[in-house]
Amino acid sequence: MNPDDLKYHKEHTWVRIAGKKGTIGITDYAQEALGDIVYIDLPEVDTAVEADSEISEIESTKATSAVITPLAGVIVKVNDDLAESPEVINEDPYGKGWIAVIELENPAEAEDLMDSSEYEKYIEEEAK
Amino acid sequence: MDLAILGAGPGGYVAAIKAAQLGARVTLIEDQEVGGTCLNWGCIPTKTLLASTDLLAKAREMESFGLELQGSVTPDMTRIMERKNKVVSTQVKGIRSLLKAGGVILKDGRGVLTSPRDISVAGKDGSSYTVTADKVIIATGSRPAQIAAFPFDNRNIISSTGALELSAIPKSLLIVGAGAIGCEFACIYRELGSEVTLVEMAGRAVATEDQEISALLARELKKKKIRLLTDVRVEKVDVREDGVHAFLSDGQELAAEKVLVSIGRAFNSEDIGAEALGLARGGRGEIIVNERLETNVPGVYAVGDVTGGLLLAHVASRQGLVAAQNCMGAAIAMDYRVVPAAIFTHPEIASVGLRQHQAEERGLKTRIGRFQFRGLGKAHAMGEIAGFLKIIAEEQTDEILGAHIMGPHASDLIHEMAVAMQHGLTARDIAATIHVHPALAEGLLEAAEDVHGEAVHVLPASDR
Repeated sequence: MNPDDLKYHKEHTWVRIAGKKGTIGITDYAQEALGDIVYIDLPEVDTAVEADSEISEIESTKATSAVITPLAGVIVKVNDDLAESPEVINEDPYGKGWIAVIELENPAEAEDLMDSSEYEKYIEEEAK
Repeated sequence: MDLAILGAGPGGYVAAIKAAQLGARVTLIEDQEVGGTCLNWGCIPTKTLLASTDLLAKAREMESFGLELQGSVTPDMTRIMERKNKVVSTQVKGIRSLLKAGGVILKDGRGVLTSPRDISVAGKDGSSYTVTADKVIIATGSRPAQIAAFPFDNRNIISSTGALELSAIPKSLLIVGAGAIGCEFACIYRELGSEVTLVEMAGRAVATEDQEISALLARELKKKKIRLLTDVRVEKVDVREDGVHAFLSDGQELAAEKVLVSIGRAFNSEDIGAEALGLARGGRGEIIVNERLETNVPGVYAVGDVTGGLLLAHVASRQGLVAAQNCMGAAIAMDYRVVPAAIFTHPEIASVGLRQHQAEERGLKTRIGRFQFRGLGKAHAMGEIAGFLKIIAEEQTDEILGAHIMGPHASDLIHEMAVAMQHGLTARDIAATIHVHPALAEGLLEAAEDVHGEAVHVLPASDR
């Protein structure tokens, strides 16, 4: 199940908003589609990022896939634990598998993203 | 026909044997060792070291292959270097016996042209004499270029030659220049345990390759914890008691046990009599030749690195073959359309033909096919899934314009693309050819299919 307190992007990333900060990760659907994750090219702190742009790339045993940030801002923190244990993304995509924290340019833009029920409909459509 | 050749590297010795086969009396003059840079201080010794470090890397993964190691695997530089020296000397002997069997007269000494027909030789045995010939081929090669502000001292500031002769693994190594040579040594010494930093003044490592190759290499270096700094120069180096301190153009100061300078090659066109002959040289000191490898002095040819083109052993050898035939009366032009090249990083890089940005600069309309090694069963079986294959085809004719591979055995795989290009084959021709399963070359089949969006083993676009 996709948590209700998150907002979702069509490129299968999520954001958890807390004040001006947004934590970003990939969805359960995305980690399932990727299969066993073997490497993540983590972004660098202090990088300014545009909404809908690639901030990181994930390598699994079957594919490589861009991580798209749902919102714009500056990266203030990255999950360094993933460098040694990228498989955590498979195990806990909404928890320990978070990828980065962004100081958001405009938290209100999150309103344009999908909520969990919209996202679930969206992936059902995609699966067809 | 008497032919004299100056320099017995991959250009000179191949020319010598070819000309002898065609009936020339050939004198080959070499002041260091047959095989030249490639065999003695370049391609072969680096690949020998790489064979040791590749095995070391595999040994470290033994457990994941279901093998248990009782004890540990540790590199022993003395024995690694001994093995390298043995491989090189075996090959040197091989070339010497080929030359002898071919009837080539080999002179160990330093030759200087005193006229277009005369070479004055100072023999290694102390003798001095003149070799007179009807025609001359200059194949004197190149040497590591150095930086005037901090020239090689062969202790702390070393060249690629020095990096092949270290008796101990440096704790840290700063490599100036992230071209082919710098990146190869970065992989070798990192695997041996050195902390490695690459400093490159261009915006990317292996800047002459396709941009996607540079991007993937940057990531593979990161995985190995090799630091890559781009768009920055080393301005000054201080050798102190605790090691070498490098000062970069962005204000950073880096300390390392040794500095390896691999910024390119300088051409061996000095001290060979070029001035006396009036040989035309370019701004970098390279000897200027036409497509038949003739210099501006009638009867004098030049081949290999000293001509300043593509500094590749296999290009020098081909030039040697062409020059030898032209000396014997043919009028063959060199054809550089299809020159495959490889960089022996881990994983390997190989390329042939146009890079994507070159195709765009020329205004060509292209279709591009890609495939990831991780899509191949064989790559998974081998435990080497990183990398991709990329084919660039002309939009209308479908002819292959270039191919770029980073991944296991890239240096072997590239030849299918080279043959295809040599014969004007299309992406559909490759796709129509049955490839062995399971083999890495299936990746080329898939990439060729992907040129037309028809690959079978590719996930839909959104998941790639």
